[in-house]
Amino acid sequence: MLQKKICMVGAFATGKTSLVAKFVYSIFSEKYQTTVGVKIDRKTVKVKEQELNLILWDLYGEDEFQKLRTSYLRGSSGFLLVADGTRKSTLQTALELQERVEGSIGKVPFILVLNKWDLQDEWELDAESIEAIESKGWIVIKTSAKTGLNVEEIFYTLATKILEE
Amino acid sequence: MSDKNGNRFAEESLNNNHIEDNKQLNDLGKLSELRSLLLGIEEPQLNRFYEKLDNPQVDAEDISGILPEAIVLRTMKDEQLSEAMVPTVEQAIQSSVKKDINILSQAIFPIIGPATRKAIASALDEMLQSFNYALEHSLSPQSLKWRIEAKQTGKSFAEVVLLRTLVYRVEQVFLIDKQSGLMLQHVVAPKIEAQDPSLVSAMLTAIQDFVKDSFNVRKHEGLHTLEFGELTIWIEQGPSSVLAGIIRGNAPEDLRLVFQDAIEKIHLLLGREFKNFSGDTEQFAASKPYLEACLESHYKNPNKTRYIYAWASVGALAIALGTWGVFEYRENKRWNNYVQKLQAQPGIVVTKTGKRNGNYFVAGMRDPLAIEPKSLIKQANLNPKKLDFQWQPFLSLERKFVIKRAAKLLQNPKTVTLKLDNNGVLQATGSATREWILSAREKEPSLSLLGITEYQDKTLKDLDIDQLNTYKKEIEEILVLFEQGTTKLLTGETEKLSILSSKVQNLIDAGNSLEKDVSVEISGHTDTEGDFEANIKLSQKRARSILNYLTSQGIDKNRLTTKALGDQNILRPESTPEDKKVNRRVSFKVIIDDVAK
Repeated sequence: MLQKKICMVGAFATGKTSLVAKFVYSIFSEKYQTTVGVKIDRKTVKVKEQELNLILWDLYGEDEFQKLRTSYLRGSSGFLLVADGTRKSTLQTALELQERVEGSIGKVPFILVLNKWDLQDEWELDAESIEAIESKGWIVIKTSAKTGLNVEEIFYTLATKILEE
Repeated sequence: MSDKNGNRFAEESLNNNHIEDNKQLNDLGKLSELRSLLLGIEEPQLNRFYEKLDNPQVDAEDISGILPEAIVLRTMKDEQLSEAMVPTVEQAIQSSVKKDINILSQAIFPIIGPATRKAIASALDEMLQSFNYALEHSLSPQSLKWRIEAKQTGKSFAEVVLLRTLVYRVEQVFLIDKQSGLMLQHVVAPKIEAQDPSLVSAMLTAIQDFVKDSFNVRKHEGLHTLEFGELTIWIEQGPSSVLAGIIRGNAPEDLRLVFQDAIEKIHLLLGREFKNFSGDTEQFAASKPYLEACLESHYKNPNKTRYIYAWASVGALAIALGTWGVFEYRENKRWNNYVQKLQAQPGIVVTKTGKRNGNYFVAGMRDPLAIEPKSLIKQANLNPKKLDFQWQPFLSLERKFVIKRAAKLLQNPKTVTLKLDNNGVLQATGSATREWILSAREKEPSLSLLGITEYQDKTLKDLDIDQLNTYKKEIEEILVLFEQGTTKLLTGETEKLSILSSKVQNLIDAGNSLEKDVSVEISGHTDTEGDFEANIKLSQKRARSILNYLTSQGIDKNRLTTKALGDQNILRPESTPEDKKVNRRVSFKVIIDDVAK
């Protein structure tokens, strides 16, 4: 079966782990993230009758105490850039991370995931800034870890992009 | 080079001017001779040398000359040639199989049998070894500890024994892409539970990266060993991939060479696949044999002599099972014979047999007149204590039992014989007194209860005292005559004897029916010829000969007596030979008494 390494990056507490928790196969606990800085999960998707095993490297969210370990990005076929829609600063972090990831492993398919769409009342990202990002050719998908909205979608879209490469 | 050019020039001149005069030819010949003398090289050899130089390509003939030696030399040096030839040989085998499967089948047929036997023997040996370990430690104090451990961990005792006698065992081997951490191939030892190998591969890669990042190691240095309790992870780095072996116990350093050898061979074999890897792991299936070669294990005390425990136990078990089987078979056979015999008995109906609580049991119906089932146990060689019976009483219509019950009801005298035919008709034959005949007829309704449909006594003789006296008279009228001076009967007298015998039997039967004690006195006589004593003896002999005849015809000897009278009681005065003939006789006297009660 075809296997691809996928990384999930984003600022601290953007809900990366919660986003996938219910949708992936896992054997490791969350404490790996705080110790080793990464937690590995597996997600199998079917794109055009072809099954694809996505080995998902859920990297520790970057904060003021811990930086992203770029060595974990090596060999990735794509990545998910996760931001919290209720915290504008996390989008800025995501944009910075995108540059660093690209600097580290080159241009690979990625998706900007705006999480916590179930908290629309507290949403801080305005439509203009999202449109501006989309105009750069980026794929932006709003998700909710709580309701499961678009979660399967982000994996399917990223897998499709990777196979098109 | 100048020589070469000179030669060419000479050759060209020769070709261009060969039709010219002989003088020029002679000059050229002399020139060649001079060159040969100066350089010491024959011209044909020189020409061949030039041809080689003009044609730098190596031809097949040249290679065929050096190829065998070259292969031998390279094989002695290292294994690279063998490794490089593997794909070609594999392809050749595939082509051969596709073309005609029989050729390869016939070629490998002689080795399949021994190889199969070897594999089976090896598997049996391993099994016996495991069994032996378990047995060897099953009675030691340590075994108690291991049994507790087995209980606590939910593993089998044998599994714990193997684990505790383990020196080392390579449980899993991973081949991991160095760049992405993706699992390329994974093998696992038998009976080992493994977590998702793709996730473990990625995590192992992450840990390596973590260590590298955290401790500022040099770029090309990699993590070689990870230890956790009794588990060790050995990692061997290759150019494009790493080989990680999960080892339980303490592995010898030599094992690293096995790992290194495996990763080297895998890179040699799959160099192109590593280079073009883009997530498709199926193309690394060819690495599996090399990884499996790393799944080594080693246990303590692999001393083959200890197999005696296992062999002894297996042998004892086999003997015990065999003995038990023989006894069980014999007892079953005896039991079946007994049941068959029981079923064949009149008045017994077996409805159920089987074994309950270690004992055999028989259930069914039994006529009280039938044979006692326990009386057959001894014959069948069965233990009576191991047999239980459950009988329900019933009345059997077997002929034997019906007659027995009828006889009991009718109280028939010995002179009456009862017979039952297939239609249930009871027939009384023989002779009986009128009184008994009448009483039997009165009991006919009761006979129907025994399954008798009809009672018949038409042929039964009606006896009374007159009949008895008639028999007495008939017998006493008989005289058996003899030749003079001998015990030889006169001609025609023999026929009287059979009549006599029949009448005496009738007399005795009638006496029995009438409860009379009947006996016959046989008296021997002579004529008056000869002296007294001789005549007494002769008359005794004559009476005795008749007695012997009657007993030979089945007449009860106790009913007969003899008497010797000689010439004391002559029948007629002897005036003629005819008178003498009548006196040489045996006469009979019937005595009838009441039976003493």
